[in-house]
Amino acid sequence: MIWQRRALIVTLRVARLVRMGFRRFLPALRYIGRALQRRWRRSLQFRTVLTTLLLAVTSFAVVGAYLSHQIAHNLFQERLAQAESETRYNVKQVQDTFDGAQVTDQSSVITLVYDTLNAVEGRGSVIQRRYVFEAMPEQTKPRNRWVESRASDQLTVSVIPPELRKAVQESGKDQYWASTVIPVGTEDRPGIAVGNKVTFNGTVYELYLIYDLNTAQQTLDEIQSVLWAGGAVLVLLIGAVAWYVTRNVVSPVSHAAMVSEKLAAGQLQERMVVRGEDEVARLGASFNHMAASLQEQITQLATLSQMQQRFVSDVSHELRTPLTTVRMAAEVLYDARDEFDPINKRSAELLYNQVERFQSLLSDLLEISRFDAGVAVLDAEPEDILQVVAHVIEGAAPVAAEYGSEIVLSAPAGAIIVEMDARRIDRILRNLILNAVEHGEGKPVTVTVAASQTAVGIAVRDQGIGMEPAEAARVFDRFWRADPARARTTGGSGLGLSIAMEDTKLHNGWLQAWGRKGSGANFRLTLPLRQGGDIDKSPVQLEPDDVMFPGEPRNIPREGDNRNMLVLETGAARLAPVPTSKETP
Amino acid sequence: MKARILVVDDDEALAEMIGIVLRNDGFEPVFCADGAQALDVFRSSRPDLVLLDLMLPGVDGIEVCRQIRAESDVPIVMLTAKSDTSDVVRGLESGADDYVPKPFKPAELVARVRARLRPGDQKAPETLRIGDISIDVAGHTVSRGSERISLTPLEFDLLVALARKPWQVFTRELLLEQVWGYRHAADTRLVNVHVQRLRSKIEKDPEAPEVVLTVRGVGYKAGV
Repeated sequence: MIWQRRALIVTLRVARLVRMGFRRFLPALRYIGRALQRRWRRSLQFRTVLTTLLLAVTSFAVVGAYLSHQIAHNLFQERLAQAESETRYNVKQVQDTFDGAQVTDQSSVITLVYDTLNAVEGRGSVIQRRYVFEAMPEQTKPRNRWVESRASDQLTVSVIPPELRKAVQESGKDQYWASTVIPVGTEDRPGIAVGNKVTFNGTVYELYLIYDLNTAQQTLDEIQSVLWAGGAVLVLLIGAVAWYVTRNVVSPVSHAAMVSEKLAAGQLQERMVVRGEDEVARLGASFNHMAASLQEQITQLATLSQMQQRFVSDVSHELRTPLTTVRMAAEVLYDARDEFDPINKRSAELLYNQVERFQSLLSDLLEISRFDAGVAVLDAEPEDILQVVAHVIEGAAPVAAEYGSEIVLSAPAGAIIVEMDARRIDRILRNLILNAVEHGEGKPVTVTVAASQTAVGIAVRDQGIGMEPAEAARVFDRFWRADPARARTTGGSGLGLSIAMEDTKLHNGWLQAWGRKGSGANFRLTLPLRQGGDIDKSPVQLEPDDVMFPGEPRNIPREGDNRNMLVLETGAARLAPVPTSKETP
Repeated sequence: MKARILVVDDDEALAEMIGIVLRNDGFEPVFCADGAQALDVFRSSRPDLVLLDLMLPGVDGIEVCRQIRAESDVPIVMLTAKSDTSDVVRGLESGADDYVPKPFKPAELVARVRARLRPGDQKAPETLRIGDISIDVAGHTVSRGSERISLTPLEFDLLVALARKPWQVFTRELLLEQVWGYRHAADTRLVNVHVQRLRSKIEKDPEAPEVVLTVRGVGYKAGV
């Protein structure tokens, strides 16, 4: 059928164009594809409109194709019927003319045949039908066979499909038809060939009349273009309607989303616009109600927190100034104590020592309250942590010498650059190392430093009295002491490790403790090399290799657990299952 | 000659105590309890060093610091009760050379005062260059071409320390020791702030320094 053929040609052409285009514009197409995908995921409206359009296009294509097929079919049938009846008439005319002809000489016969056939083309400037006139093959040559074949301009017998010729040749006097393509000028046009036999002077000829379907094709093309144009307009209209309808529904929702994003970003005064009394308006009203109560509570909290900060800052200042005076006075008295009598001398010493203690307690308290108020800020810069470690060890050396212990550093050569607040790291390490010296009973304290791609670990290990795993879990608690009876003999405010923990949290690091009675303790600090980076595993071990007590509860930090919590587990991981100790937090 | 030290502090007990300690160590203290009068007292007493409390009634310490710095290069040491970064940095940025956090020991205070008063080492006539900056060490002047650049004594010392060893990278700790005279750990923010201030005076573009370079993770060095 005509339209099938045309459709096939068009499809092939489009496919070729698409293939070529793909090669050239592939990157651009990928980009557009990704953008559309993002849009599809993120916009309900886009999705709805696109789905509607796709459905409309599909249904229109199906209906259009059906209509177009029907119309083409009817047009063709009509033209075919006309062609068949015209052929029947014309063949009869030709046969009649041939039958009544006077066969005399060759030239008059040729003229007669040609004139008869030319008359078939119809009168006037428009050729109504064309012909192919061909002697049947395989017949014994009669006497007067002066005419072999003849065809209208541009036509040869090759335009007649072989099947049609075969049908005509093999039948008696029946008429057959077939679709064909005829050259007209420079173009190929669809046509119908209808054939039959005529006899002239004892010779049987095949006569095919060929009808141009161009007019029908043009009509069909026009109808189709109107159909498709109408369809396109209809689809666009449907798209617009879908867009409008979904916009009406979606815009309040996306407005709500936008407002809640702003609220989340801290713009607490943001509210939804409420119009009318429908569902959307109800959503807006209750949303605004929620926002209002949220704003109230947050403002209240912010005020409280601000007051707390002010208070801490004020207390800090108010206490420090008189404390400075007292401290200076105590020191002046202390320096002059040799000139006093024994009672005054001892008093001066007590005053001096206790003012010192009071001061360290106060500064630790203020530090902790600064963390609680959330005003502690990380002043991080990339620096070499090995220098800080070396510096702290150097500073702790005199104290270690006093206790008769030695501090051993095990660290890689070179530098380990860590993004950190060196002041705070210095404070954490000083605390850990001095603690280890104090509790190390004169045995060596080992400081191990190791780094991975993402983190640095520092372990401070002593061989002293050690502690129960349950105690290790509590060492970071404020004012917590392992043994209340000997609480005050070793100095310190009892806040040192709590502050160390806060400093560590500020760096997004881990601070963990391990201990066993009689085997000493190990404290491990793990920091990300870059702030914002994650730690998945500490480069140093928390539980030392040199201690193994099968079956006893042990302190195994769960790698990947960055909540700075101590997790107590049994030796079950390696040995026989033993119930988990009940101190597990 | 006794060095005269102006103590600007509204807490009379503390001021008196500081006075006792300073006198004990051979200094001559002058007192002022009010920020608003600090500048007048400064002008009339012409001290060799100012000890300045950050929190003052009337005009606050940072403003006083700025006023004094506007007309003099005299060393200023702040006394701060707040050791929060922002306050300390604000104080240093307004022109103070050093700070002593409360509560401090008398020896600590005296050490800070002496460090700032230390009469520059006997300087031989010497001219140093970093980049397009030339430094006349004995004459205490810094210039770019014919243009004189005015630096405080502390900024001058910092620049000279860097310029003397242009091949060396100075850690902040080393600079604290050489320029500020700290033997033990001290606040490295002092170095950061003063390097920024120095840069703002001697660099053509302080955002892209050419004279005092930062060595990431280590410290600073002189640009050659």
